[in-house]
Amino acid sequence: MSVDTPSRSESLRERLVGRFVSRQSQLALTTTPGLIWLLLLLLAPLTFMVTVSFLNVNDAYQIVWQPTMENYGQLLAGDGPFWKTAFFDSLLLSYFIAAVTTVLCLTLAFPLAYLLARRGGTTFKVVIFLVLLPFFTMYLVRAYSWYLMFGPSGVINSALVKIGIVSGPVGLFNYGVPAIIVGLTHAYFPYMLLSLYASLDGLDFSLVEAARDLGASRSESLRDIIVPLVLPGMISGSLFVFVPALGAFITPRFLGQGKVLMIGQLIEERINSLYAIGYGSAASMFIVMSIVIAFAVAFRYVSIEDLGGA
Amino acid sequence: MATETGTSTDDPTETTGRSLRLDYDAKEWLLSRGLWTVAGALLVFLWIPLLVMMFLSFAVNASTFFPFRGFTLAHYAATFADEALMSSLFNSIQIATLSASIATVLGVLASFALARYDFPFKELYRTFGILPMVIPGVVLGIALLIYFRTLLGITPGFLTVVLTHSVYGFPFVLLMVTARLYTFDESLEEAARDLGADPLTTFWDITLPIVAPAIGAGFLFAWIRSFEDFIRAYFVKGTMDVLTTSMYSMIKYGTAPKMNAISSFIVFVIAIVLAVAMNVGNVTGYVAGTQGDE
Repeated sequence: MSVDTPSRSESLRERLVGRFVSRQSQLALTTTPGLIWLLLLLLAPLTFMVTVSFLNVNDAYQIVWQPTMENYGQLLAGDGPFWKTAFFDSLLLSYFIAAVTTVLCLTLAFPLAYLLARRGGTTFKVVIFLVLLPFFTMYLVRAYSWYLMFGPSGVINSALVKIGIVSGPVGLFNYGVPAIIVGLTHAYFPYMLLSLYASLDGLDFSLVEAARDLGASRSESLRDIIVPLVLPGMISGSLFVFVPALGAFITPRFLGQGKVLMIGQLIEERINSLYAIGYGSAASMFIVMSIVIAFAVAFRYVSIEDLGGA
Repeated sequence: MATETGTSTDDPTETTGRSLRLDYDAKEWLLSRGLWTVAGALLVFLWIPLLVMMFLSFAVNASTFFPFRGFTLAHYAATFADEALMSSLFNSIQIATLSASIATVLGVLASFALARYDFPFKELYRTFGILPMVIPGVVLGIALLIYFRTLLGITPGFLTVVLTHSVYGFPFVLLMVTARLYTFDESLEEAARDLGADPLTTFWDITLPIVAPAIGAGFLFAWIRSFEDFIRAYFVKGTMDVLTTSMYSMIKYGTAPKMNAISSFIVFVIAIVLAVAMNVGNVTGYVAGTQGDE
């Protein structure tokens, strides 16, 4: 035994040292490639974009390296005060559309998520397949399918006229804000559903039963037990709906047909027709800042891991 | 009532049950019915535009129902004969495969770092890694366009789309693989090492097979995200076309017949892939974030 001791401690030390060295190199090996990619293709472009928003572009589309607030001034310049400018209008409209979409998704997804969490087996499989298939179908295809439905001669209006319920196309089913909200709700509904489902699935329903046994009414147990416990899912789901809806481009393009200008379209227009990168960058900053604020608020209630649900 | 319907065995129990707890049962019945009705209505909402589109893809008059002039496969034939469209489809497949591969390699490595090691700024690294998924496409697309064109001087094209999508796909791999690694029983690896396996053998024989389904799911997600992305590709594609940008111009210039056909075709293909994937692997588990429960 005593003969063994030195060699054992020696090998232990060696193993410890070996492990330490290899751990370090393993850590470097695993973190570095992703880090380089993120620095080069995410942090650098975004930083550059922030910089460009404070710079100007000359007639030859070259950057003039002189700090200026002109881009921001342009965004908020108009005939009247800044809240009457085209940019501010479309920013507000985008907030409104994104908010309504989020609320709609939340109220629609909750019952379905609840049902999925309580049901297993075939029902679950069939329903989740029916939900996931549109979700996996290209976003563009889904926006396009609503494009066929809406419009003065779209499927809804022509069917209504044919049946004889109305004499001419109904304005509600023409292209415009309601159509965009429907399209966006359709597009981002699954994010909300999956976030809520992930939360509800982890919920211990015996707590609800206990509350009911102790005399809580259905609405009381919903308000006091289920909602607080599912709150992280509701918040992360809302982020996953609100954020992309705010920057939506395709859906408002197809379903607004030029009548509605959301901020994503406004930016695209300036960049593609004028290569106005300063203006586009400055306008993008408003989206980025809105998202940073939304996340900062959300992270008071959820951790970043909760966002893994969708 | 009971004598009229003639179901004598069930009725007595039902009547006693109802007389005792009529209120409760009725409420329960209404609630569950209500829940199912809402669920059914939602599924109709999710499916109706797609079903209409698929129906129209076989209809002679491609953009609306009335007047209906019969069925045809001509739109499909014209779509698959459209060389420009097919080449953009091929571009999309190439880009998706390349960018998802890059995203998978980077994402798997980063997942091991996050799940296995503690290091400074770990939370920052994680947040940073999830960011590409969260940033709106318009912002990421424009930022990368300006960056590639103005700062790096790269002409937008195939390469820039692959790079853009590799960053965009990264979070999907990262989230799925880290979730799997967190539920991974590390004693399995220790056991293998105790039994004399070297680290590399342990990785190939123990770790990889267990994590493989999550890696596969991550790759699939990154692939689909790249394939269906429009806005990022739209900004950084240069003069090249991918499937989504071709489809966008088809809608813009009003060629509904081909658009219906190609869109419906994609729905069919995805339906088959999803049905197979759901029966082979726990796809729903990965999507809903409940890995490791089964």
